Amino acid sequence: MKKVQYTEPPDHYDSSPCGYITISSDWLIVSVNDTLLKWLHLKRENVLNKILFPDLLDMGGKMYFETHMMPLLQMDGKVSEINMELKGEGQLRIPALIYANRILVKDGGTPFYRISVIDISQRKQYEKELLIARKEAEETSKKLKQINQELERFAFMASHDLQAPLNTILNMVQLIERRKLLETGSQAEEMFSYIVQNTTRMRTMINDLLEYSKLETKTTDFKLVSLNEVCSQALEFLSDEIKLNKAVFDIPKLPEVLGIRSHLVRLFQNLFSNSIKYRLEIAPKINVTWKEAGGFYTINIADNGIGFEQKLEHKIFEFMERLHSDEYAEGTGIGLSSCKKIVEMHGGHIGVNSVAGKGGTFYFTIPKVQENL
Amino acid sequence: MITKAQNKNNVKRFGNGKQTIMFAHGYGCDQNMWRFVTPAFEKDYDIIIFDHVGSGKSDERAYDFQKYSSLSGYADDVIELCDELHLKNIIFVGHSVSSMIGSLASVKRPDLFKDLIMIGPSPCYINDNEYYGGFEKKDIDGLIEMLESNYLGWSSYITPIIAGEQDKPEYSVELNNSFCRMNPEIARHFAKVTFTGDNRSDLSNVTTPTLIIQSDPDVIAPVKVGMYVHEKIKNSKFEQLKSPGHCPHLTSPEQTIRSIKSYLSN
Repeated sequence: MKKVQYTEPPDHYDSSPCGYITISSDWLIVSVNDTLLKWLHLKRENVLNKILFPDLLDMGGKMYFETHMMPLLQMDGKVSEINMELKGEGQLRIPALIYANRILVKDGGTPFYRISVIDISQRKQYEKELLIARKEAEETSKKLKQINQELERFAFMASHDLQAPLNTILNMVQLIERRKLLETGSQAEEMFSYIVQNTTRMRTMINDLLEYSKLETKTTDFKLVSLNEVCSQALEFLSDEIKLNKAVFDIPKLPEVLGIRSHLVRLFQNLFSNSIKYRLEIAPKINVTWKEAGGFYTINIADNGIGFEQKLEHKIFEFMERLHSDEYAEGTGIGLSSCKKIVEMHGGHIGVNSVAGKGGTFYFTIPKVQENL
Repeated sequence: MITKAQNKNNVKRFGNGKQTIMFAHGYGCDQNMWRFVTPAFEKDYDIIIFDHVGSGKSDERAYDFQKYSSLSGYADDVIELCDELHLKNIIFVGHSVSSMIGSLASVKRPDLFKDLIMIGPSPCYINDNEYYGGFEKKDIDGLIEMLESNYLGWSSYITPIIAGEQDKPEYSVELNNSFCRMNPEIARHFAKVTFTGDNRSDLSNVTTPTLIIQSDPDVIAPVKVGMYVHEKIKNSKFEQLKSPGHCPHLTSPEQTIRSIKSYLSN
């Protein structure tokens, strides 16, 4: 490339695109360039050796200068990117970024400080808009959180209060059955069987809803939990179903994690129960495996059940979504969404790999326990 | 053994003397502020410097917004520190807000303090009828606004320090950690507590002999305010330095050292 001859003209200081000020160690302005004077609409003779640098700041700026900027400058010899507003003539204010460094003087005299000023009026406007947007977003998210909590509370109250009348209905229904109050083979008996079926279903639904709304969390409740103990507990809760379906489990030695024990038991219970429920003719076989990567454990629960099409993955974790009708297997569509909620409150995520007719593998991740905890 | 309070307040102890002298930093900075002053006391004193909880390299987890909503919480920390280290009759040097923290601690536990040395004290920053503190309420809001618009500046400050101080790596890491780690929420809270507090009524309860070091001019704690403190504390001396700004221990360390030493030698 061709070499270009260039010598910095002597007016470089005054014509520079940014403002320059030099102050003495007692902050008197001893030098200032034309650019800054022009920005501030000030006259050199009113500034030079007349005013102190803090005189260009409003009270908040002066305090910041004294408590943050000057100490740093004196201790470290430089500061950068400090956002200040400089006062000009009258009501004129310029938002600026300040950079400064110390100029040492020979023979240990008191130092001077060189300050560069960059006008950021447009950027500041943009920053203000961003700040407003952030504050709005924070408020909206706060509001949403509150509404969500209210909803959860509502779900809890509603399902809790619905339980009592429903239990009374179920008791009456059982009494009618036990006392054989209906004529065998009558139309009434047929209709009554629908009542029994639907009331039982309603109870399952309300119980699931109640359990779901109870899934609250405080991180202070997190304790070291053995996943093997969690699995054993889940299997115990499912012992009737396991016996009935002749289900076989293969569970290796699992790690310990930080979590809420009762929630983790529910997680495994729901996943195991799911694998048993959606079985093929052959006896259910459920395989648990795990691996560790990137600070997380991944736990896999594989079954030999009916599976489903992979593209439906997103749907099955949604609240009250089901892939199958009650004729195939009873359910409320709450179990897997509870699983999702539990995994997420423990800081992991849940997913599933499946091929229709060939079983499926549910997996979830959970953070590894850190050594220093 | 390092005790709980020592850890919490990132305490450093050095020097060859018997008499303990404790230096407490003011708002906006940390124990690094004393680096130009402490060397002059190393030979004859047992020096303790520390960071207030929430500042410098203190244990931020110990910052309890309730406890530190008044200076009394900080005074309790000073007392706790003295008790843990079995200190009595110490010389307490407090800059700015720490002057008030020291005076509160000395009222609670006079046995712990031999002398109080206040650099730029102010019992109340906001003007109130006849009382002149130097500020209006809206000025304090201005400072808070400044703090908010400068978080960005502090975080991006990290790089130049590391790059620029390679000949003194310890120094630069220390600075970088202490200045950049002030949690924005704590910085704002501490600013509010410092500048909106009113401890005027506590001054007359101070019985510990006190030296007030006043720099001139000082926007943060004007001469008038220093005089007020001198007037209210019975057993106090007042010394005015010809040094501009609120941090004479940084701007004019020699004058500051001379002033402290001559007071202590009498």
